[in-house]
Amino acid sequence: MSEMNAPNGDRRPIFIVGVGETGPVAQDPRSIPEMVLAAVDKALADAGMGHDDIDAIVTASIDLFDGLTASNIAVTEVVGAVMKPETRIAADGLAAAIHAACELRSEAYQTVLVAAHGKASMSDFRSLTRWAMDPIHLQPLDADFLVCAGLQASAMAAADGGAQRRWAELAARRRSSAAPGGFAAALPAEAVLASPVVAAPLREAMCAPLGDGAAAVVLSVRPPAPGRRSVRLAGMGYDLEAHAIGDRELTRWEGLGRALRRACADAGITSEEAAIDLAEPSCLYPHEEELFRDACGIGGETVISPDGGLFGGTAPVVAGLSRLIAATRGLRGNARYRRALAHGAWGPAGQGQAVALLEAAD
Amino acid sequence: MNEAILVPIEMAVTWRYASGAAMERFCSGLMERRIEALRCGVCRRSYLPPRPICGNCHAPLSEWVSVADEGRLEAWTVLQVPMLDARTGDMREAPYGMGLIQLDGADTTINHYLAESDPARLSIGLRVRAVWRPEPRGAMDDIVHFEVLR
Repeated sequence: MSEMNAPNGDRRPIFIVGVGETGPVAQDPRSIPEMVLAAVDKALADAGMGHDDIDAIVTASIDLFDGLTASNIAVTEVVGAVMKPETRIAADGLAAAIHAACELRSEAYQTVLVAAHGKASMSDFRSLTRWAMDPIHLQPLDADFLVCAGLQASAMAAADGGAQRRWAELAARRRSSAAPGGFAAALPAEAVLASPVVAAPLREAMCAPLGDGAAAVVLSVRPPAPGRRSVRLAGMGYDLEAHAIGDRELTRWEGLGRALRRACADAGITSEEAAIDLAEPSCLYPHEEELFRDACGIGGETVISPDGGLFGGTAPVVAGLSRLIAATRGLRGNARYRRALAHGAWGPAGQGQAVALLEAAD
Repeated sequence: MNEAILVPIEMAVTWRYASGAAMERFCSGLMERRIEALRCGVCRRSYLPPRPICGNCHAPLSEWVSVADEGRLEAWTVLQVPMLDARTGDMREAPYGMGLIQLDGADTTINHYLAESDPARLSIGLRVRAVWRPEPRGAMDDIVHFEVLR
């Protein structure tokens, strides 16, 4: 099995020229079209573009979460997809951005808009994730994404007596970094440890709360206007592990390792020499951040989630695209950063994994 | 031989949709038996149901226009199979008519039930009028159906 994409040849560079998002908030009173419209308008304004500059659109949404088959029909007009080519991805928003980048690489288009939305407040999100599980083996057992996360955390904590305290301290640190930008209250580690157990060994305050959000990104082969540090999407890769968590080595995110190696090969570097200045992982639980660090070989030299990552609150589907936005803003705003990693994950216990490597283009 | 396995799973899950500002005003109007559309300032098309953006011009819509509860039948069909009403859980017995109706003052059509279910008495171009529920509640079924004006 190859872990390489096509050879990194003389490819068109891809720039992240516009970013915009709403939320995340616990409950957005607006409709999905209104939220997405706000995010798209912000991204276009950030790019200094209008809809006439957009050749194609890629949206990310999941029918089950929206209670609507072909959930992209809710946003066709607000993303400007009427009379234009639109593709919908039923996965994390970072996978949609990678699809858009592939469209640009194919030379089909010059500029593509990516938009993602998720509204956990609409329904019982946890119950809905049960419907994402195998219907004969797992659904009758009430297995859902939280159950899978608890099993994964338990597998990691089995031979690690310090895991609970370490995870509480990590969650507390991230929540503190996120406040007031997020909607999860800042809590000391002791309060995280005292919060109710939701899926042993995970406690409520260790979990990133899920709410509502929309995000949009403009990718283009044309560099952004002068006056701002331009950010290039240098490499991308993704990977799917087996759906059944019983088929996997749960204490490692091997799919993420493969996705990273693909992204590095795509960028023309090896994962060993890929110095990452800033990492923006999509981790909903502290044990996932440890899986992330391990799979990516990221150590103390890399700044991770300076704004708290997802722990301050996030929205399903949007999370990975919001990490791409955070990484872009990090590179734009900090001249010390040369390369950043944005990560997306979806499915039970991180079945789907996506990596985007971003580089400051100056 | 691969036999089907019956896995009976029931989950009571509901979705709470935000109506959005345009549909909120539209539904409020229904409570007063008032129908309003949103007109595009660029192409002058009046959209019903109202929505935030004109899909053709991508212009934000903010100009409200009153629309009559009468209009022209632009398409029709008569269903001969019963349908489960998703809102009530009750069956709607067949036959029943459904139409696309362009209300006077609107440039798009809305879907709704027709009081007439005899195909021989339906044709495109008929004038139809809304029959309102005695006590409107602010939803599309405040209009029970459209009756044909003869």
